[in-house]
Amino acid sequence: MTAPAGESTSPDSGELLTPWAVLDDYQCFGCSPHNPHGLQLRFRERPDGLVASFRLGRAHESYPGVVHGGLVGVICDETMGNLLVLRTGRPSFTTAMRVRYLAPMPVDVPHECRARITTELPAADPPGTDPTAPGLPAPGLPATGLRGAGLPANGLISAEADILNAAGDLVATARATYRPVDLDAARDRIQLSDRAAGRLADALTAPAAPAAPVTTPVPVAVPAAEES
Amino acid sequence: MPTTAEPVLTTVTGIVATELATSPDTVDPDLDLRTVAGADSVKVLRMIARIERAYDIELDDEDVFTVTTVREVTAVVERALAGGAAA
Repeated sequence: MTAPAGESTSPDSGELLTPWAVLDDYQCFGCSPHNPHGLQLRFRERPDGLVASFRLGRAHESYPGVVHGGLVGVICDETMGNLLVLRTGRPSFTTAMRVRYLAPMPVDVPHECRARITTELPAADPPGTDPTAPGLPAPGLPATGLRGAGLPANGLISAEADILNAAGDLVATARATYRPVDLDAARDRIQLSDRAAGRLADALTAPAAPAAPVTTPVPVAVPAAEES
Repeated sequence: MPTTAEPVLTTVTGIVATELATSPDTVDPDLDLRTVAGADSVKVLRMIARIERAYDIELDDEDVFTVTTVREVTAVVERALAGGAAA
């Protein structure tokens, strides 16, 4: 480890901006860079999904020296959930998640969370098609698969996540089911101004953008690959 | 997911052997895994996680923490598969 705990040293490691980054004050506990109390997870693409590299400190302990297990679930959920958002172009709500804890996760040690989608996703449907009723228009429903993936008939997508330590050993696994929702429908459940919704809608339809270099200390750290 | 033609015992043995960094031929299906050198509780849980992933099933902790041999693990997996325990 060459970096002091709590600082990112990977400003140019292919990290992605999630669509939420267009909101000036989004406070997601898992991935917002604006929330000083959050995990500030950052993501990179993998051939089969998404990866978040992180290192949590003592502020995130349960037992002394051990990362709180609830946060392990948060990290898995965040990585899988953002993968779905990036693939489907839709906010995605978690409907169920199961975590299997294999070993305690020590604090101040780098780990990776790797997420992948396990549901076979169809190609994007034509704009305005209701994925639960193929061929029927869905009022207010924009194009599905805005980033290339459509939705299965039941509207649910399953994903898996693995958390590994720097040696590549499994620390935890998770599987979860998500329900991607059209942004207009999601606005019934989340608080967004019209202006914010407009910006988010544009971001959800745009290709994923690389993240800007990190210039401020964050409580997540370097990818395991950068360890010496 | 393993092919249906492949016995569960073969697949489970292979996963156990991989986790223990040994050959499947050396894994006695009736040996208490807790007595195998290098097979601590974390490794046993990693085996279970890989088995769940391979078969797309979720095993009950009541089973996971009571099985001791590869053959018992196999029986639990077969029950899960027969009972439609896959999520």
